[in-house]
Amino acid sequence: MRTLRNTLRVPVARGALAVLLLVALLAVFGGQLAPQDPLAQDTAHVLQGPSGAHLLGTDYLGRDVLSRLLSGTGLSVAGALEAVGAALVLGIVPGLASLWLGRVFEWTALRAVDALMALPFTLFAIAAVGVLGNGLHQAMLALGVLLAPLFFRVTRAAALGLRQVPYVEAAELMGASRSWVLRRHIWSKVLPTVAVTTAQALATSLLTVTSLTFLGLGVQPPAPTWGGMLASDLGFLAQQPWAPVLPGVLIMLTVGALHLLADALRDGGAADAVRPVRAAATAPVREEKADAAVAA
Amino acid sequence: MSAALPARIARAPKPLAQGLLTTATVFLLASVLTFGLGALSSANPGAAVLGDTATPADIARMNHQFGLDRPLPVQFLSWLGHALHGDLGRSWFTTVPVAQSVWQALPVDLSVAGLALLMAVLLGGAGGIAAALSNGGKVDRAVTAVCAVLGTLPAFVIAIGLIAVVSVQLGALPSGGYVPFGQDPVQWLRFSLLPAFALSLEAAAGIARQLRTSLVGALRENYVTGASMRGLSSRRVLFGHVLRNAAGPALTVLGMSVPMLIGGAVVTERIFNLPGIAQLALQAAQEHDVPVIQGTLLVTTSVVLIANLAVNAGLAALNPAARRGRRGAAASGDPVAISIPEGATA
Repeated sequence: MRTLRNTLRVPVARGALAVLLLVALLAVFGGQLAPQDPLAQDTAHVLQGPSGAHLLGTDYLGRDVLSRLLSGTGLSVAGALEAVGAALVLGIVPGLASLWLGRVFEWTALRAVDALMALPFTLFAIAAVGVLGNGLHQAMLALGVLLAPLFFRVTRAAALGLRQVPYVEAAELMGASRSWVLRRHIWSKVLPTVAVTTAQALATSLLTVTSLTFLGLGVQPPAPTWGGMLASDLGFLAQQPWAPVLPGVLIMLTVGALHLLADALRDGGAADAVRPVRAAATAPVREEKADAAVAA
Repeated sequence: MSAALPARIARAPKPLAQGLLTTATVFLLASVLTFGLGALSSANPGAAVLGDTATPADIARMNHQFGLDRPLPVQFLSWLGHALHGDLGRSWFTTVPVAQSVWQALPVDLSVAGLALLMAVLLGGAGGIAAALSNGGKVDRAVTAVCAVLGTLPAFVIAIGLIAVVSVQLGALPSGGYVPFGQDPVQWLRFSLLPAFALSLEAAAGIARQLRTSLVGALRENYVTGASMRGLSSRRVLFGHVLRNAAGPALTVLGMSVPMLIGGAVVTERIFNLPGIAQLALQAAQEHDVPVIQGTLLVTTSVVLIANLAVNAGLAALNPAARRGRRGAAASGDPVAISIPEGATA
């Protein structure tokens, strides 16, 4: 909570949050707000500039650009959220478990994470689409699996530093149950770090979603998405700049806001929460110190 | 166990052996993942290849030919065994050996990615050093701003912007296509320059940010003051001492950007029409050609793992403390801000 309050004091963070809130509203209500059917073609009025009937003009098939933009937001954002949601679950739970479930699990989990980190995001998502069928869910779950190591390492590094803190040891000595220690002492300190990583992962995953839809994967083309609009309307950049430029601008704004928010969260105290106690940094913690660096 | 080994091998540097062991384990796990992905497929290649008129018996015979009626562990072991001998199976649809297609595509990726890495190191290194030297000044703020903007740009926006300006407006370089290096190095450079530049920007931004952070820290160390007091020129202090100590985290970032340069560059390859491994995977994905998908993933992962080994060797060479098994100041002192490689999307 302190991190959140510190963060909200920064004007940049408030601006970033406002942008993200706006995008979220667009994502949820975009479909209803759309003044026209995003798929309706009006071949008599192709590639027109902004007018009263079409506020942002029409694309190469005479479809309303504003409506397509509004109804395309939902899919793009939902995809990114889905991937990060999967990554949160798949990363944090094993990340904490690796510290408490013994060395065999720890070793296996660490190697699995190494293996996942060696796979390239987009290629793996494409492979998942190719193997499991062309759907955004398949691609996003695959992306979630690949993003999970990030949360795994960050959570683990943060929790590892905390495990050696005297008050956690004291709580364990006094007979506090594992779940109590986790909830009371560990989780609140890990949360800010996880928040930073979530913002960064959302940005990464949004860019991947737009890349995939740009390539025509995950979503069948007539359905509007930011990446799909960019791809299909790009050829008509000279005649109708609104159609390809606006989705690009929206992507950049959203990703930029996420980056700024991550930075603000980090400056707001997330980095302090996990800074490992220097005296405790003996040899076995080597790797985790590097992870803490990644987290901070 | 070690007593039985010749003394020379027994004394081999431990980190290297450990690194190789870890890499082998990771490779095995990655191959399980890659194969498992294919095994999850509900595709019925026999039916897909033979078309609608095939009888169930024909389809079963075709699937038997593909070896798909065997138990999964057997399939996995035979697939991995063949893969280790350089045989990745055949495409279900074209029956071209996968290894052959990958072998044709890989040099494209490696040469363009190599060029991109070189550009990233030069651009990122120059940007990072300039920013650190003007710590807080105009150059610093400019570099930071450029890096922040580069992080938000999707790969296709960069690629298309480059084509629009350099190829269409200036007509300086071709907008797509490829000529192998062995055939005509000059033409290769003309075709690779733009995609490599587009790819390098994200990595360059990461390197610049990282190098700036660690250089600012390293420049405040006592040995820098000491070296200046001994009369060493600031250039010698920077390149002889500080850079060596501060390069570790930046090299780590460089290592993390290798996966996105090789095979991760799907969009860039598509836009510049490079016949690389990502294009191969994309085409295979659209046809649900599982052996090709598995082959490209496995080969890409192997290249990434080899690159990681190289980066670790580089880190060890840079930092004598790391060679002895302890992290030096550069790697572990202050927590340095390594962010997610944003270009992971590229």
